[in-house]
Amino acid sequence: MFRFKYLRRDFNTWSIYTLAIVAFIMIPILTIFFKLFSGPGESWSHMIKYLLLDYSLNSLYLILGCTILTLVFGVSSAWIVSRYKLPFQRALEWLLILPLAIPSYITAYAYAGFFDYGGSLEFLLRNIGLTSSKFSVTNIYGLIFVLSISLFPYVYVVSRAVFLYQSGRLIEASKTLGASEFQTFFKVVLPMARPAIVGGLVLVLMEVLNDYGAAKYYGVNTFTTGIFRSWFALEEISTAVYLSAILLVLVFAIIGIERFLRGNRSYEISGKSDFKLPKLALSPGWRVLVFIVVSIPIFCGFVLPLGQLLYWTVLTFSKVASLSFVTIAFQSLGIAFLTSLLTVTFALLVVHFPLWNRIKLLSKSSHLAILGYAIPGAVIAIGVMIPTLHLDKWFIKVGKQLFDLDLGLMINGTLVVLIYAYIIRFIAVAFNPIEAGQLKIGKSLSESSRLLGKGTLKTFFKIDLPLLKPSLFSAFILVFVDTMKELPLTLILKPYNINTLAVKAYEYASDELVMESALPSLCIVITGVIPILFLNRLILNGTK
Amino acid sequence: MELNNNVLHINSISKTFNGGEDFVVNNLSLTLAKGKIMAIVGESGSGKTTLIRLIAGLETTDGGCIELNNTVVASDLIFVPPEQRNIGMVFQDYALFPHLTVFKNVAYGISKSKTKKQQVEAVLCLVGLNGFDHRYPHQLSGGQQQRVALARALVSQPSLLIFDEPFSNLDVNLRIQLRNEIFDIIKKTGVTAIFVTHDTQDAMVIADDIIVLKQGAIIQRGTAKELYNNSVNYYVASLFNQFVMLSNLDLECFGFYSQKNKTSALRLNEFILNENCEFSLRSKIAKSQFFKGQFLNTLKLQSESYISFYSKEDLTDKVVHVGFNKKNLLVFDS
Repeated sequence: MFRFKYLRRDFNTWSIYTLAIVAFIMIPILTIFFKLFSGPGESWSHMIKYLLLDYSLNSLYLILGCTILTLVFGVSSAWIVSRYKLPFQRALEWLLILPLAIPSYITAYAYAGFFDYGGSLEFLLRNIGLTSSKFSVTNIYGLIFVLSISLFPYVYVVSRAVFLYQSGRLIEASKTLGASEFQTFFKVVLPMARPAIVGGLVLVLMEVLNDYGAAKYYGVNTFTTGIFRSWFALEEISTAVYLSAILLVLVFAIIGIERFLRGNRSYEISGKSDFKLPKLALSPGWRVLVFIVVSIPIFCGFVLPLGQLLYWTVLTFSKVASLSFVTIAFQSLGIAFLTSLLTVTFALLVVHFPLWNRIKLLSKSSHLAILGYAIPGAVIAIGVMIPTLHLDKWFIKVGKQLFDLDLGLMINGTLVVLIYAYIIRFIAVAFNPIEAGQLKIGKSLSESSRLLGKGTLKTFFKIDLPLLKPSLFSAFILVFVDTMKELPLTLILKPYNINTLAVKAYEYASDELVMESALPSLCIVITGVIPILFLNRLILNGTK
Repeated sequence: MELNNNVLHINSISKTFNGGEDFVVNNLSLTLAKGKIMAIVGESGSGKTTLIRLIAGLETTDGGCIELNNTVVASDLIFVPPEQRNIGMVFQDYALFPHLTVFKNVAYGISKSKTKKQQVEAVLCLVGLNGFDHRYPHQLSGGQQQRVALARALVSQPSLLIFDEPFSNLDVNLRIQLRNEIFDIIKKTGVTAIFVTHDTQDAMVIADDIIVLKQGAIIQRGTAKELYNNSVNYYVASLFNQFVMLSNLDLECFGFYSQKNKTSALRLNEFILNENCEFSLRSKIAKSQFFKGQFLNTLKLQSESYISFYSKEDLTDKVVHVGFNKKNLLVFDS
């Protein structure tokens, strides 16, 4: 409860900064909210009549289908690698994370190229004298499969962490009480891991709703593709806002359901357990079978799309690799670098301002800043564009009235807006490792510094910052890769004269030049593999 | 304002959590005179740590006022940040900066001056750590880390030095040694100090004055002897004594009839092993175990309760007379 009695005493400069940073991050969300009151656009009634049902049903099918498939792939592979002795165990553990390195729209292009008419599969079959039956993946079922196979590692990573850290003693207890392996899994392991698994699943669904590239390429109408159509084809921002609002409601409903399912449940075992579950040996027959089961998601999620990309790259390298491609690659790297630097800085502020501000309510509100990751990129783009357009109009008006200057758009269409949107979208990605690092350092070091006469800033630069270096580094890498991969937000907000690898890949694919999209895609995949290996090392270190 | 010799004056401070519903510190007042050592004891959750965090400025108060050296540092309108309070603190986990050497840790609180090096060396010498300046905290033992933390807190000459559970991470022998060393250093420097501890032995050995906290309020304040001999209630007695609770039924087994609504207890070393005491019984010893140089005996009363007491010799299976004198019985309101 906030008590006004102490407002005068507890309000300090950090309170203002906390408020400012929360406002900075919340502007796009609030914009969508307030814009709703200015009424829908002209095509809204058309949208309701002909398209809304399609958007809603497709989004629901995607949510449902991806939930089932990611749970099957993620939980089964996590359980197998944490419980059984397998050949190439270590390699399997990190290979299962690698599908995350390939953005889902790129996996989608690769699958379309492999399975569709005249694709690699047909070519392969023809070479061995077979003819393939007609098989197309560019439909909603294909989209569900492609999104699931590229996003299941979110569920795999959290499930594996729970299985490794938490379940050991309880599995042994269950076994000594006479339960079979099957009963133990369904009665002890799975219910205990449920909150974490649902947490991972929510991340998958956020990404599913955020997806634009794959859905567009497969011709499946979703809310995100609808927002793009309203914006680019109909040029109607109010309709885009209304669709964004519905999409936001869907996102918050998913988060709400997750919170409800989790309730006050916490299955964390008290005390630090260094007990590691011993792995079971399987009979040779089972070993082969289980190995094949685990290899399926690796093959489908990583090997196949990567193989397709490599094949295409070989075919198109000389055509695509040009000076302009190198320029785009450098632009992409430069934007990702700048974004990561700024996002990490902002995340650092979001972690620290609340520590220095004495009004508890404000400190708690700073957590709103990390909401951005739940909000689809297209929605953030619309939310950023509206207020910045207003600001630009104001500049133009003031320039004309006061200085008789004909100013053009000064903010919109520049990198400023794009990077601002990236910060909002990815601040949570940087916030989590930094907050975890800060929690690890603990409060007593900075309190000690304060008691030794150093103020907040000196304490920050002399104590917190040097100790936070590893966390800042991880945060930087994670944001860097996410920025390299980002598509929907970039498509809406990027300046005309600047391009990114993700957009280039999308443009090639949209122009029926999907083979040419392989080289930019491959560059993104290579940058994506690095943090995944890094993430896996963190998990392995945690289990040691 | 009338100036006095008090370093710390606390007037009716409170601290609440959960939106003002739960009092962690409740309308608490105390004073601490210059050069004195005070210990704050109490069970977990009694508000000890919150109280010192309020004094240090690491938490804000919800009512009341704190004065340090006759200056208000916390009230409903004023909040002086910790860096301006001139308070030294030795944290439970020592809070040594892991990326700084011992020298830099100790020198951290001193502003740039020509005598900085001498000051650090002098205080390291005082805590017996000369020659350790270039080591990092992780290269030191627990006891050495504790000494560095003390040196770091002392070097800026604080007007009040606070120790938060300073010995809780140390083993018994080191704890006793360090306790005596720290006591000597504090007395040598003449600094006013507050010790927070859940171990009453530490409090009794080190402090001039002991405060017992329960649910954020002071239950009793006095010297070690006063608290041991004249505990105001069962809670205080249980902190400072090792005793056996005796119900009215238990007491009747000894031939003693107590008033209703009273709780009685007897210290383990005040049972008498012969029949020449005011109240006694004859019974067979159920168990006699060697414990720290004497024997701890257990005996079952007719009331089905067990009592324990010390003896010099092993009494296993022996039938003995055991009893007590009325003056030794601790009686509290239930």
